[in-house]
Amino acid sequence: MTLRDLWRFSWHALIRHRLRSFMLLLAVTIGVSSVLLLTSIGEGARRFIHQEFASLGSRMMIVLPGRKETTGGSPPIYGTSPRDLTLEDAQALRTIPTITAVAPIIAGTATVSNQSLSREVIILGTNADMFKVRDMHLEKGKMLPQNSQDKATPVCILGAKLAAELFSKNNPIGQRVRIGEYRYRVIGLLQQRGESLGIDLRDMAIIPVRSAEMLFNSPALFRILLQLKQIGSEAYTTRRILQIIAQRHEGEDDITVISQDSVLGAFNKILLAVTASIGGIAAISLFVAGILIMNVSYISVSQRRQEIGLLKSLGASAREIHKIFLVESLLLVTLGSMLGIIFSYALVAIVRYSLTSVPIAIPWWSTLSATLTALIVGLVFSWLPSAKAAAVDPILALKE
Amino acid sequence: MKTVDYFQWIIKAVAAQKRRTLLTIFGFSTGIAAVILLNSVGESLRQYILQEFTQFGTHIIAITPGKTETLGISGILNTVRPLTLEDAQSLARLPAAKQVVPVVMGTAQVKWGKRGRYTDVAGVTAPALEAWKLEIAKGKFLPYDNIQKPRTFAVLGSLVKQELFGNARAIGNKIHIGGQSFRVTGVLKSKGEFMGVDLDDMVYIPAAKGLQLFNRESLMEIDIFYSPEITTATFQKQVKSLLIQRHNMQDFTLITQDDMLKTLDKILRFVKYAAAGLGAISLLVGTVGIVTILTITVTERTHEVGLLRAIGFAPHQIRSLFLGEAVLLAINSGIIGYLIAMSLLFVAKLLLPGIPVGFNLWVLLLALAVSILIGIIAGWRPASQAAKLEPVIALRAE
Repeated sequence: MTLRDLWRFSWHALIRHRLRSFMLLLAVTIGVSSVLLLTSIGEGARRFIHQEFASLGSRMMIVLPGRKETTGGSPPIYGTSPRDLTLEDAQALRTIPTITAVAPIIAGTATVSNQSLSREVIILGTNADMFKVRDMHLEKGKMLPQNSQDKATPVCILGAKLAAELFSKNNPIGQRVRIGEYRYRVIGLLQQRGESLGIDLRDMAIIPVRSAEMLFNSPALFRILLQLKQIGSEAYTTRRILQIIAQRHEGEDDITVISQDSVLGAFNKILLAVTASIGGIAAISLFVAGILIMNVSYISVSQRRQEIGLLKSLGASAREIHKIFLVESLLLVTLGSMLGIIFSYALVAIVRYSLTSVPIAIPWWSTLSATLTALIVGLVFSWLPSAKAAAVDPILALKE
Repeated sequence: MKTVDYFQWIIKAVAAQKRRTLLTIFGFSTGIAAVILLNSVGESLRQYILQEFTQFGTHIIAITPGKTETLGISGILNTVRPLTLEDAQSLARLPAAKQVVPVVMGTAQVKWGKRGRYTDVAGVTAPALEAWKLEIAKGKFLPYDNIQKPRTFAVLGSLVKQELFGNARAIGNKIHIGGQSFRVTGVLKSKGEFMGVDLDDMVYIPAAKGLQLFNRESLMEIDIFYSPEITTATFQKQVKSLLIQRHNMQDFTLITQDDMLKTLDKILRFVKYAAAGLGAISLLVGTVGIVTILTITVTERTHEVGLLRAIGFAPHQIRSLFLGEAVLLAINSGIIGYLIAMSLLFVAKLLLPGIPVGFNLWVLLLALAVSILIGIIAGWRPASQAAKLEPVIALRAE
C-alpha cells in the first residue's frame, strides 16, 4: 500500500462518517484556536510594552540615587539617600564619550495657578536633553533655554490638559502662571502624546532644572536620564558612571544604574511566562479532544471489524492495519489544526486591522507547539484503538 | 413507563458500553476538573494576596503629600506642601486614632567598623512596632521619645544584623548610617517580604532623624491605624478636616485600606473568573465529545428505537430516554471531575501548606448543576433525532 493509497483510504473513511469527522475536527479546532488566540493576547501585551519603551526613545539609561546590596530585587525607587545626586554629578557624566544626552530630573508636585484657576500637578525640572531622550515634542512655542542646568530662568512648558484647564481656549504662550511660590512665563506647549509609562504627560509642567531646585528648595535629583550614542555600550557606560560618581562621592558609588534592556528583559520574562502558562491551560482542551479521538476510534474500529477482516484476508499485515488507523487520526488532527490556525490567524488579523492600537499577534512558538501537541495527542490517543484494529482476527471478523 | 424502569433503562444503556462511557466521562470530567481547579487556584491567590494586605488590619488610612495620585508614588516626589511630624502629632491626638506612624524611606549605607551594606532605611516612630506587627528578636524597638528630638537609636532588620554583625552581639554598638552615628537598640525577627520590599533588609530609625538624613522637609506617608468602633467614612472626615484646618487647603491624598482592598478585590476576582473561563474551553471540547458519542449511539441503536416506537412509545418518551443518558453521563463526569480537582488540590495543600486552599460544597453543587445543564444541551439534538425516527424505517435498519 503506497502512502498515497493510505491517504485516500483514510480520506474516504472520514468522508463516510461526515458528522463524526466534523465533530472531531471541531474539537481539535477549538483546542488549537484557544491556544493560539490566548497566547496572541499575551504576545500582544508584550509587544505593547515594547512599543511603549520604544516610544521612550531607545538607548536610554536611568541613574537613580541610592543603592541596595541585594541585586535582582526592586530598585531603590524611593530615590532618597543621604548623599544627594546633584546637578553637578549629572554634568560630570557628560564627559563619558558614549553618552550623547544627559537629562537630570527634579520631580515634585505643586499647585499651578492662573488667577483663580489652579491645579495640582507633577512638576518636572529638567533641561532640553529630556526632550531628546524621551522623544517628546513641542506642540508650539519654545524649548527650555540651553542653560537650564546653570540658570534658574522662570519659564515653563505646559502639558495640553493642564493648559486647557488653566487657560481654556486662550493662547497660554507668553502668559504667566504661578507655581508654588514663584511666577513663570509659559514658553511652550507639549505635544499631546498621552500617558507614558504611568506619568500623564498631558497633565504636567516642565521647568528648568535650576528653577526646580529653587521651587522645591532641594538640590536632590530624582533621576538622571541618559541617552547612549549607540546600543551595546551599556556595560561600559554603567562602569564609567559608577567610577565618576564614586570619585565625586568620596569613594562611594551610592547610585543605581538601570538600562532599558534590563527593564525590558524583566518584563519580557514575566510576560512570556504568563503567556506560556495561559497557552498551557488552553492546551488541556487538546487533551480532552484527544480522549474524544480515542473514544471515536474505538467505536470506529469495532464498527469496521468486517472491513479489517477483509483487508487482512487480502494480505494486509497487522502493521499496515495499525498504520491505516493512525493515519486516519493524524489526517483528522492535521486538518483540525490547519482549520484552527487559519481561523485564529484570520481573527487576529481582523482585530489588528480594526483596532490598530492593539499589537496583538500569534507568536510562532505557540503555533508550533499547539500543532505539535495536537499531532502528538492524535498519535498517542489513537495508538491503542489502532492496535486493537491490528489485532482483529480476520476469520472471526469475516464470519460476523 | 414507570420511573424506576426509566432509570433502570438508562443506567443499563450507559453501562452496556463500558469503554465508551468511561472515555466520555473521562473527557468531560477533565473539563470540569480544569474549571474547578483553575477557579480554586484563582480563589487561593485572591485570599493569599488579601491576607498579605490585611495582615496589618483593615482600619488603616494612609496620607501622602500632594493632591495628585500618580501610581501611589506621590509620597516619593518633592512637594511644596510638606506633610510634617507636627501633622502626625496632631493626628495622633484624634480620639479614634490608635497608632500614628510617620514614614520616610530611603536607601543608605549602614556601616559597622569596616563592614558596610547599602540597605533600605525607614524613618518611623515607636508605634510602628505594634502597628506594622514587627517582632523584636533581641533588645528593644525605638523608644517613645520626643518626636521632634528623638535619640539616635536604630533597630536592625534580621538580614542587616546578620550581614553586619554575623553572630556577634549587635545591641549597644554604634553604627553609621549615611555618616551619622546611631546606637543599635534592637534586632527584629525575620519578617520576609511585603509587596516586593524585603523587610529584613531594612534599618529602622526615628522619623525626625530620617528627615535629617535624607534632607527632606516632608514625610512620605503617615499611616493612621484607627479603632474599629468608628466607621471609615467618619474617621476619614475627621482626618480630612483636621489636616485642612492645619494646611488651609486639601493638599494631601487620603487612601483608606477599604478603598484599596475593594479595588484589589475587584481585580483579583476578575483574574479568578478569567482563569475559570480558560478552563471552560476544555469543558466546551468535552461537550462536543458528549454530542459526538450520543449521535453515534443513536445511529447504532436505530433498530432499538424502531422497536420501542412499534410497541407504543411516544416520541417524547424516546427523547427523554436519550436525554437521560446524556444527563447521567454528565452527572458522573461532574462528580468525577470534582473528585479529580479536589485530590489535586489536596496534594497541592500537602506540598505547599502555607497556601489557603478552599474546599467548598457549593463548588460541587455548582459543578453538578453545570454538568446537568450541559448534559441536556449536548443531548438535545441526538435525542430529538432519535425521537423523530419513523418507526417503520427504523425497524428496517440494521
